[in-house]
Amino acid sequence: MPLLFSSFIRSVQLNRTFRVQPKGSGRIITPTRRVLTRTLEGVFPKLKSVLDLLPGSVHLEAINGGYAPAVPSLEDSERKAIARLTHRVGFGPAPGEFAALLNAGVASTVTSLLEQLPETPSADIETTLGLTELGPRPKPNTPQVVEYSTAKRDMARTIRLWWLDRMVTTSAPLQERMTWFWHGHWATSYVKVDEPIVMFRHINRLRQHALGNFNAMAREMIVDGALVYWLDGHKNTSRAPNENLARELMELFTLGVNQYSENDVKEVSKILTGYKVEKYSGTVSRNLRQAHRGAVEVLGKRSEFDALTLVDHLVSRPRCQEFIAERLWFRFATSSLVYPKSSGIDGAFSQREIRPLVTALITSPEFLGSEIPQVKSPLEWMVAALRALSIVPSSSQRPDFILNALTQMGQIPYSPPSVGGWPADEAWLSAASAQTKIQVASFLTRNADLSPIADVSTKRRVSELADLLGIPHWSQRTLTALQSAIKNPPELMTLALCSPEFQVNG
Amino acid sequence: MDTLTRRRFIQLTGAGAVAAAAHTLSIEEIANAAISRPLPANTPILVIVTLYGGNDGLSTVIPFREPNYYALRPELAFREDEILPIGTDYALNKSMTGLKTLWDKGEVAIVNGVGYPNSDRSHFSSMAIWQSASLVADRTGWLGRWVETQKEDPFLAIGLGSVLPPLLAGEKRSGSVLPLGGLRIPTGRLATELRKISQASSEDDRLRASAARSLNSLFSVSEETTPILMQEELPAPDLPTIVGGNAGGESNLSAQLSVVAKLIAAGSPTRVWSVSLGGFDTHADENSAQSALLGAVSNSLTKFISQIRATSRSKDVTVMVYSEFGRRVRANASQGTDHGTSGPVFLIGSRVNRGFHGEYPSLQQLRNDDLAVTTDFRDIYASIVERVLGTDPNQVIAGWRGRSTAIG
Repeated sequence: MPLLFSSFIRSVQLNRTFRVQPKGSGRIITPTRRVLTRTLEGVFPKLKSVLDLLPGSVHLEAINGGYAPAVPSLEDSERKAIARLTHRVGFGPAPGEFAALLNAGVASTVTSLLEQLPETPSADIETTLGLTELGPRPKPNTPQVVEYSTAKRDMARTIRLWWLDRMVTTSAPLQERMTWFWHGHWATSYVKVDEPIVMFRHINRLRQHALGNFNAMAREMIVDGALVYWLDGHKNTSRAPNENLARELMELFTLGVNQYSENDVKEVSKILTGYKVEKYSGTVSRNLRQAHRGAVEVLGKRSEFDALTLVDHLVSRPRCQEFIAERLWFRFATSSLVYPKSSGIDGAFSQREIRPLVTALITSPEFLGSEIPQVKSPLEWMVAALRALSIVPSSSQRPDFILNALTQMGQIPYSPPSVGGWPADEAWLSAASAQTKIQVASFLTRNADLSPIADVSTKRRVSELADLLGIPHWSQRTLTALQSAIKNPPELMTLALCSPEFQVNG
Repeated sequence: MDTLTRRRFIQLTGAGAVAAAAHTLSIEEIANAAISRPLPANTPILVIVTLYGGNDGLSTVIPFREPNYYALRPELAFREDEILPIGTDYALNKSMTGLKTLWDKGEVAIVNGVGYPNSDRSHFSSMAIWQSASLVADRTGWLGRWVETQKEDPFLAIGLGSVLPPLLAGEKRSGSVLPLGGLRIPTGRLATELRKISQASSEDDRLRASAARSLNSLFSVSEETTPILMQEELPAPDLPTIVGGNAGGESNLSAQLSVVAKLIAAGSPTRVWSVSLGGFDTHADENSAQSALLGAVSNSLTKFISQIRATSRSKDVTVMVYSEFGRRVRANASQGTDHGTSGPVFLIGSRVNRGFHGEYPSLQQLRNDDLAVTTDFRDIYASIVERVLGTDPNQVIAGWRGRSTAIG
């Protein structure tokens, strides 16, 4: 914790002094100079202070390491801020988008990301996608079981491709980004739930509340068929409690570790008794005969709770405010520096409304003004590549190649590895995943429309490539490699997708 | 049962602990080190096996003479013909035939009732306590601190897998990691350019440098050196080659231990190895799942010990097997168990004192419905540091005076 703070303060101090540096060969575009602060006033008052911090984010380790610090120009800082926003708040830029955002400026980028209207799936989406409740598995070695298994496999594939398509094509990425975040938070896996339509409904509930009210979301989740089944909630009876759901509800979903006593776990699991899941539809009901009766005491409050009033109680705890802010910080900002408490970002969550919290986070100096590089997780890397290459997974040449590659890299939607969700940062950077990325990049670039770089002169290709992928700045190392492949657009693109600059958002 | 894996723990600790970064080694680098500066003969080697999820000790070392065992967990208790008796009062889970053979040969010590005061039932907290050897979950691991007492050497302590296990995390220096799995090295013109972008750049931040390294480690497997891991599996002369205890599908643990065996045999200058297996969080339908897992642990360890015995290092290797907590005595409604307190620790090798150590927690006198903790896990660590690694335990667990009779 002290580490975070001192280095943050130091980076703020360093940020105050900057000078405009002459453009190197890696310089990309010349956005027209804008008076940033004027654009900002009246849009996001708080952003002004953010932008004061923006210029010249100097890399501390570079200084400590003794080599010459790069002193970025104002434009570098802007490119960096917009790249951070488009990659972390969205899924990376679509062709032409990065240059347009640069022209519009940081404030407009923030506004446009935050003000997008959610795109709600139509009411008959399940029918459109051919999803049905499959019912019990037929007996082995019957014709019915073949039909059943084929249908299940197809549906599991459909729901994954449909979601990937949305991430790739959406013009309102924040909603999908947040749905993805909540999937990792309430991390429930198809591997155990085993019913595609039940998982689809689970994610759709998260999507519906993705930027809404957290209490409303938590109330839906505690009686969500997929989640309850995943954590054995349907097996929890008054005669013999199963504590799995009770513990994770507090530890991972609402309060965080060590925020409750063992007795609280026992009491909460009493409240969660008697809930039954209809496995094939995910409908949750309560069998009062198996439910605990009478008042219990949870975190100092004694009441005749049911699952919903229990959730109200937990979510209203002050600690929930900070915990959800920490989780957002972990996923959007950085996994290596703890959430800066004093930032007060969590204050925006006092009513448990998610949108103001997200707004506070991404407009905070701690988010936009600090050195907080982040590794793109395999899914984020894949979706950013597909967006840049205008490849829609379901209508691509080999949709299964994309799904298999995600599985190989360890991150396929609907299947988090555990209730703790996916890991972050260095955990994704193995030699094995590097190998898969090379294969994926080579495959995608052979079959993609590369005109955004192929149609420009070789002189401009490297800078076009940076804009296409939303990369602030190429290192000299990567530039050298790109220059050697400059006449071969697929190879050029493959190298760029595998570069540390694209794998890690700065 | 798969609601907790190792990844989750690492992800959670990643949020809090910021320790020294780990080297990622390639098998080739280790092979080179083994050839150029092999571990001196007779140097003790420690292998730590972490079982993630909380292994149910009562179904591992079964107190089958104890009437309360049947009374308290009727849904889970094994019949007398379903167990492998060792000694008069206790039995191993029936899947652990290999371990039973090692026990019969006098190579196994079992420490009963191991845990720490005021058990914390969170996987996260409990594993952090075990791996840091500190009740406040220090950000460094106990063996990471040991690494820092030694001369700097990236090969000294190695965790198998893609992520550094927290027990190897040090303040300034940590152990290294060796990712598993065969890699295909890119070739041709693209490879030449990829090599360029895999070089370190002074413009890289910490994570970009890691991304470059991950590419680079793909290439560091050079063609010149004979890759030790391409060799055939080491022979395991003690094991029957016919179908039997040795049979069974490859588990990841067995793959990890197979790599460790080859590298120990080759002389890797490594004194501490860390491997792991997840899936022990058996909240539902425990018996079949846990037996399968214990079978994998037993089979892969037996094979490993047998392979090591065929090398010049047969007397040097000590193995410790532990999990972050045991489970409740009573079953829940789903034929599973919830998070409990103490559990057995297994120690294997010629340096261990065969037999049982520590008091088996009484089933007559439960503590708040749970098993008592009769041995503090730090006693075992201190003995390992002192008698296996030959280092003053004060440098690893400052001020800890307890020792275990199981070692040395």
